Amino acid sequence: MTALRIIGGTVHDPANGIDGEVRDICVLDGRIVASLPDDAPRLDARDMVVMPGGIDIHAHVASASVNVARRMLPEEHAMDPARAPTLVRDRDADITIPRSGTGGTVPSTFTTGYRYAGLGYTTVFDAAVAPVSARDTHAQFDDTPIVDTGCFILMGNDAYLQRQIANGEHERARDYVAWLLRATKGYAVKIVNPGGVELWKRNVREVASLDDPVGDPKVTPRSILETLTEAANALGLPHPVHIHCNHLGVAGNVGITLDSMRTLSGRRAHFTHLQFQSYAGERGKSWASGAKQISEYMAAHPETSGDVGQVMFGEACTLTADGSVEYLLHNSTGRKWTNVDIELETGCGVVPYTYREKAAVASLQWVVGLELFLLSADPWRLVLSTDHPNGGSFMSYPQLIHLLMDRAFRDEQIKRINPKMLSGSALADGLSREYTLNEIAIITRAGPARLLGLTAKGHLGVGADADITIYTRDADRSRMFATPRYVLKAGTLVVEEGQLRRAPQGQRHMVRPDYDPAAERDIKEYVNRYLSVAFENYGA
Amino acid sequence: MAALAAVAAKLHEADRALVYLAADLPSETYRAAVAIADVLGAALDSITSATMSAGVIAAQRRGRTTATLGEIRNRADTVLFWGFDPATRYPRYTSRYLPDPEGMFVTGGRRGRSVISADIAADRGPADADARVAFAADEEVAALNLVRAALKGRALPNAPADSLHARAAALATRLQAGAYVAIVSDGEPAPHRDPRRTEALIALAETLNATTRCALSTLRAGGNRPGADAVMTWQTGYPAAVDFARGVPHYRPADDAAALLARGEIQVALVVGAPASVPVAIRDGLSHVACAIIGPGASESAFPSFAAIDTGRAGVHERGIAVRLDDMPLPLRPALEAPEVAAFREKWGPERPTVARATATGVCAALPATDAAPAGNHSPADGRRDGSPELAVAMSLAAAGRPQDSYVLLRALAATLAHLEGVA
Repeated sequence: MTALRIIGGTVHDPANGIDGEVRDICVLDGRIVASLPDDAPRLDARDMVVMPGGIDIHAHVASASVNVARRMLPEEHAMDPARAPTLVRDRDADITIPRSGTGGTVPSTFTTGYRYAGLGYTTVFDAAVAPVSARDTHAQFDDTPIVDTGCFILMGNDAYLQRQIANGEHERARDYVAWLLRATKGYAVKIVNPGGVELWKRNVREVASLDDPVGDPKVTPRSILETLTEAANALGLPHPVHIHCNHLGVAGNVGITLDSMRTLSGRRAHFTHLQFQSYAGERGKSWASGAKQISEYMAAHPETSGDVGQVMFGEACTLTADGSVEYLLHNSTGRKWTNVDIELETGCGVVPYTYREKAAVASLQWVVGLELFLLSADPWRLVLSTDHPNGGSFMSYPQLIHLLMDRAFRDEQIKRINPKMLSGSALADGLSREYTLNEIAIITRAGPARLLGLTAKGHLGVGADADITIYTRDADRSRMFATPRYVLKAGTLVVEEGQLRRAPQGQRHMVRPDYDPAAERDIKEYVNRYLSVAFENYGA
Repeated sequence: MAALAAVAAKLHEADRALVYLAADLPSETYRAAVAIADVLGAALDSITSATMSAGVIAAQRRGRTTATLGEIRNRADTVLFWGFDPATRYPRYTSRYLPDPEGMFVTGGRRGRSVISADIAADRGPADADARVAFAADEEVAALNLVRAALKGRALPNAPADSLHARAAALATRLQAGAYVAIVSDGEPAPHRDPRRTEALIALAETLNATTRCALSTLRAGGNRPGADAVMTWQTGYPAAVDFARGVPHYRPADDAAALLARGEIQVALVVGAPASVPVAIRDGLSHVACAIIGPGASESAFPSFAAIDTGRAGVHERGIAVRLDDMPLPLRPALEAPEVAAFREKWGPERPTVARATATGVCAALPATDAAPAGNHSPADGRRDGSPELAVAMSLAAAGRPQDSYVLLRALAATLAHLEGVA
């Protein structure tokens, strides 16, 4: 029985309509309760800001592909060694061994868990896991302490799924989605460059449109999007399809992004790292912001949600299942490149990258991301991410929050960037919006929880998981959000006085949708015939 | 428990320890072994440093383009075997992956693929290759660079037939004709090979991707060696040759286990894995230090040890994950797993990484009386099993005359050392 009354904090709990009210929060055995006996232990949070624990809806932290990136970056790790935390030693309890590690844009697993918790984040989803190597993801999660975890399973270039689409077998496609999620202990369906990764393996560098055939004429990016969206929604998954569109990162891609959105109009769908998908202009000729068009579409379509994928200046590591994009980036930057084609399912590409203020494209990307935030009509449906580590590390979230909350801070930054591609940009023309603390709580907690269907997270109502972050109020928002005073994870005080003190293991979130068991026979034949992993050994 | 306690005591007392990951154990055991090195501030290395370091460093310098084994089986219509015949060292590769089986996009199996052999001096490729090209040993790296030059349209015009330039250009033409090219090489070391080969092969595969698709498939010995790399990478950021001496992981590929042992820096070593898999140079070094071995065949080690604890073998007795050479994680399904180990893993698997303090105090009870760990009332020979799931399993296996379980032992050792070192 662990009980704690957090007293006198200024609570921001937008899911329960609480916007900066001073009130007590009672915690008992990992959950929030209505009340506690008067003699329950107390935590004084007066003059502090209390929010639910942060939730990262889209990051790359635990997968075979992430490990490819880790292995490639010894120079980054050498620059950022991470000592083991000094944890509370309780001689009556089991032993938690504190672990050292390395940071950089792709930290080691223990360091990832500690650093997320140190920022007040308590739940993280890995957004791109190849089904055939899902076991690796779960093993890495086992070594990622404190945070709750879950993973999205890559399906947008899956050869078995394409066969079902070619044969018009939509029910079988749905059964396959359900089987795959169960087999891999996944949480949601991920689509990356639908059809485009399969074509990259056939040496077709890019789809021209959503109607390009991927082998069979019935299999197109559009039919893949439709089939998987229908399947995910029919299965009642807590999170809808999570879509990385075609043409990521190229000028003029706002057209295919909007086409993808319109294709799924009326159906729940989440469009991820939209910053990388919102460029107007014309390939090879010009770049401009397409944020306004995306924002207007999303405002008119409440079934659509997204996360931003903000670019932050400094070091990043681009890491994606979208292999052809990474080849282009390698070719244009000359930086080292790893590509892994993953059998009949997906791809993996890694290129380290630096976003520089003086670079015109990087400046535009930074602006597009901020415009998406600042033009957003509904913070519940457009939430915070940097597509860690693609747009920047999760460690840059406090600075990103500062940019959103403080126009003066933002304007100073705007003065330093390359203005070459910014003509007509809403941000350059002066967007005055400043996010409130409540809106920050929405885009980093309540919104992601709602979009992920995590009913016990992202809020502080009775019955919620006691994942709570308590900040010392500070006008310097970067500092405030980088160093929470206290963090509770499932009721355990993991950060005390700004120091990491405990490192319990988090929970794994997964779904177990039903499917017709008769579908397994064909799947088994397929796996045993075409994959190098036997059916019995597949998944996690 | 006396042996485990002796290992803990020696490691705890050492100023400079080495944890060495050998083969044939599951990844879960390696995870616990890395924790031990971290707690001790020890050096940590694996077989990879002595066998694959050129490839590791080349890939860190420039990346690599590769594919899983199933992908190249399904797609590769052009296969280049570089200076080796898989049938001699990796017989199952030929029938399972390349070039024999059918693929989704390659009908006819072997007949549907163009197999090219690059013969490097006496290192010949498959005898039934559809085409062959021969290079002298001292031509090898130059040849790889000239193939790249030809692919970039910079072949030397009018090169004499059979000259190095002409042979390289002809090979480039064949490779460029492939829709999906697999370049297959042997990553295991051989004294006569040019160590620059690995990076040149990576560069060739990279260049081919400008016009067609290409994956480099580098073969290596099994026994979950890639699992040790993967675990080290995700826990420390580095795949091999890590040193925790300064309290954080440092990457020291030039000061790997062989170098540290040769310099006499190591006092106590813990080998985790089959001693038979330890490379000769490391064995020599280990024979000059106090060495403990926990792994399959520990008691039959060719190098001496002060403690040798025989464990089961991954996949035969021990469950968990083993990683294939293409980084695919596979589940181990041991036919001879002891029931108490199975029960332990169901309840206390690595998804529950906290370990019982009773285990640490139990092992310490088997230590000679010290300030750090008074023996108390417990028999020094037996340790204390009350409340310790690890020790209960270990003692049950010992009583039944079965091999120990490496994961159970390494967890117990990690807990004990964390306790002794005062970090938990």
